[in-house]
Amino acid sequence: MNKMLVVMLVSVVVLGTLIWMLQSGSNGRNRPANLVDPTGDGEDQPLMFFCAASNRAVMEQIVAEYTEEYGREIELQYGGSQTLLAQLEVTGAGDLYLPADDSYLKTAKEMNLVSEVLPIAKMEIVVAVRKGNPKSIQSLEDLSREDVALVQANPDATAVGKVTRRILQETGQWDLIDKSTTAYRTTVTEAANDLVVGAADAAIVYDAVLHTYPDLEYVSLPEFASGTSLVALGVTRTTRQPRAALHFARFVTARDRGLANYAKHGFQVEQGDVWSDTPELNLFAGSMLRPAIEETVKQFEKREGVRVNTVYNGCGILVAQMKAGQVPDAYFACDTEFMEQVPDLFPEPTDVSQNELVIIVKKGNPHNIAGLRDLTKEGLRVGIGHEKQCAMGWVTQNTFREGGVQTEVMENVTVQTPTGDMLVNQMRAGSLDAAVVYLSNTAGSGNFLDAVRIQGLECSVATQPYAIKPESPNALTASRLFQQICSTESQESFTAEGFRWKVDMESSGVDD
Amino acid sequence: MTENALNRTSEPKTHRARRRSDVPFFLVMSGISSCFILLIVLLLAADLMFTSLEDFKAAVMKPEIQSAFKLTLFSCTIAALLSIWVATPLGYLLSRYRFPGRLLIDTIVDIPIVLPPLVLGLSLLILFHLPIAGWELEAWLRDDVGFPVTYRWPAVILAQFSVSCAFAVRTMRVTFDQINPRAEDVARTLGCSRGQAFLQIALPQSWRGMIAATTIAWARALGEFGPILVFAGATRMRTEVLSTTVFLELSIGQLNAAVAVSLLMVVMAVIVLVALRVLGTGLTS
Repeated sequence: MNKMLVVMLVSVVVLGTLIWMLQSGSNGRNRPANLVDPTGDGEDQPLMFFCAASNRAVMEQIVAEYTEEYGREIELQYGGSQTLLAQLEVTGAGDLYLPADDSYLKTAKEMNLVSEVLPIAKMEIVVAVRKGNPKSIQSLEDLSREDVALVQANPDATAVGKVTRRILQETGQWDLIDKSTTAYRTTVTEAANDLVVGAADAAIVYDAVLHTYPDLEYVSLPEFASGTSLVALGVTRTTRQPRAALHFARFVTARDRGLANYAKHGFQVEQGDVWSDTPELNLFAGSMLRPAIEETVKQFEKREGVRVNTVYNGCGILVAQMKAGQVPDAYFACDTEFMEQVPDLFPEPTDVSQNELVIIVKKGNPHNIAGLRDLTKEGLRVGIGHEKQCAMGWVTQNTFREGGVQTEVMENVTVQTPTGDMLVNQMRAGSLDAAVVYLSNTAGSGNFLDAVRIQGLECSVATQPYAIKPESPNALTASRLFQQICSTESQESFTAEGFRWKVDMESSGVDD
Repeated sequence: MTENALNRTSEPKTHRARRRSDVPFFLVMSGISSCFILLIVLLLAADLMFTSLEDFKAAVMKPEIQSAFKLTLFSCTIAALLSIWVATPLGYLLSRYRFPGRLLIDTIVDIPIVLPPLVLGLSLLILFHLPIAGWELEAWLRDDVGFPVTYRWPAVILAQFSVSCAFAVRTMRVTFDQINPRAEDVARTLGCSRGQAFLQIALPQSWRGMIAATTIAWARALGEFGPILVFAGATRMRTEVLSTTVFLELSIGQLNAAVAVSLLMVVMAVIVLVALRVLGTGLTS
């Protein structure tokens, strides 16, 4: 009895001591004495980073460098990509997510778990073999040889398996390779490990996986040339510290910081931005776009912790500035015409929205203006945009020309301004009887003005393209601003300001 | 006379036959047994040949692995002790009493054993994060109690405990089944309460079973991996136990390190299991 009591007592003491030791140890780790706030915004908690275990080697280095430079603690949480995704979904916690390939990020975006996606590196599908290629595997046919044990990653559970199956089904070789496959593994690293222990002679894997395997090499097959995937880093939608999370995400994807580590590990890295603690993004935007994008830009600055220097002006003036050497990181033009004037600087614009020209008149339309021809009425004071200074002026002249009223209307034009807002103000001040402006310029003036549609002239519609300067050191940040501009909230604000949404989300790669 | 002679001659014959029959007996028995022993020994030998002493040293010197080693030792011990504290009364109740819902409880105890490990981890994760009318267990523990569980060391222990306790309960139940309740009944007729009968009669007889249950719970906790990965994650220096270390090393193709850590687990398990057996012998003697 006494012996039993002693044992029970001892077990309780041991239990208590061990728990106390674990708790005091973890308290010490949870509250580092020198915790600093690199972004200076009160976001000073450690970031929780769900990272695919396959990226551990490189990510540990990057995190160590980041912590040394900025003092912020990153809690690296390793696991399989699918497990991490499940954890992200169930807990709703976590700031960053880096899966083994971008297919998981697409799923995470569809599930509304991830907001920003920052590309890191490309991965190609290759055939891994042991050093020296002892089975002389040179072609896809060699994989189906009797003496070659082939392993693959599961085509239902892994991206590499999925892409391999798709490519080979297209070329009609899938059945052969499927039959020749000795085993399907749940992850691509398991397939590579099979080679190391000698359980397989060949494995279809991503080249990036092999950088931590000194005893393996790979053979590139032409069939898999189109089978590239991306390693990318996602920032979660629910992160409580978006600035801090994006600060770290920018660090990882900066060409002179994290990407340099990825390159050292043999990854084919993406271009990436040049590192800057607080990047300054220069954006040139046509004045007409200000009401539609102003709030979005503000939100973007707040979430990202970057500064966006936006210059709103007539597009003609913006083009002149660019030609004089002031080139922004991104340019959002009022019309394609003004994008086409700087093709060298912005070779790949994406059409975002459309806006139509209208005739604005005083409330109640006292001069009974029903169309373009009515603008020729004698004594009418008409205001239009300046042809050289803004897209609106240029589109207006085109419309007059197409409508066959250019000469007559120009006789009535008393003022030409570089922006539509100025014309609206002059209308409200009573110095004009009618003006030709964009429908978006009239937003908020419904109590004072009426808008008359210009019927039957396609050229009265302007299309607004957005483009990023490819050589910009902030190209990636500019592309995230574009993602933000294409968000649902932003689309609503475009529509509310009288714009029509045009961008094709699939082809523009907004979701990627 | 002839009958006697027959008897005399037949005696040494049967004696000789009995002697011969022992050899095949031991051959068959030890032959079958050695298959398993040989398999385990060969596995260990293969591991030893795959890795080298340098790999082993390099692995043991890593601060991450040292931290994982410490957490493994602590968490397994805590999980095993908690398991035995819970398993002893539960095993006793299931063994001694017939009550409504006993079959159901008996089945519930087995669920952690039959459930796939990942499912158990996911279930724990969901339990702690399921919002019930705006209230969430994890948020309450974190914000009001100041004791966060998910992705922290308590999650490691809880994941280990969930499985190892089920095994401990099974063992304790069999232990009490094998102890004749007559002694307790007699004690009660002599004026003992049920509590006294349990503490003074049943418990001292169940030492061997308790040691076995603790051993099996500890061993089970050591091998636990799936639920820990999902519920506690694999954060280095924080929730990394040796089984997750093996996974992390395998994920980047460091097979040598993975095998070295596996061998470290074997050594650790052998030491602890032997220590428990010695302790058990000391207590029962």
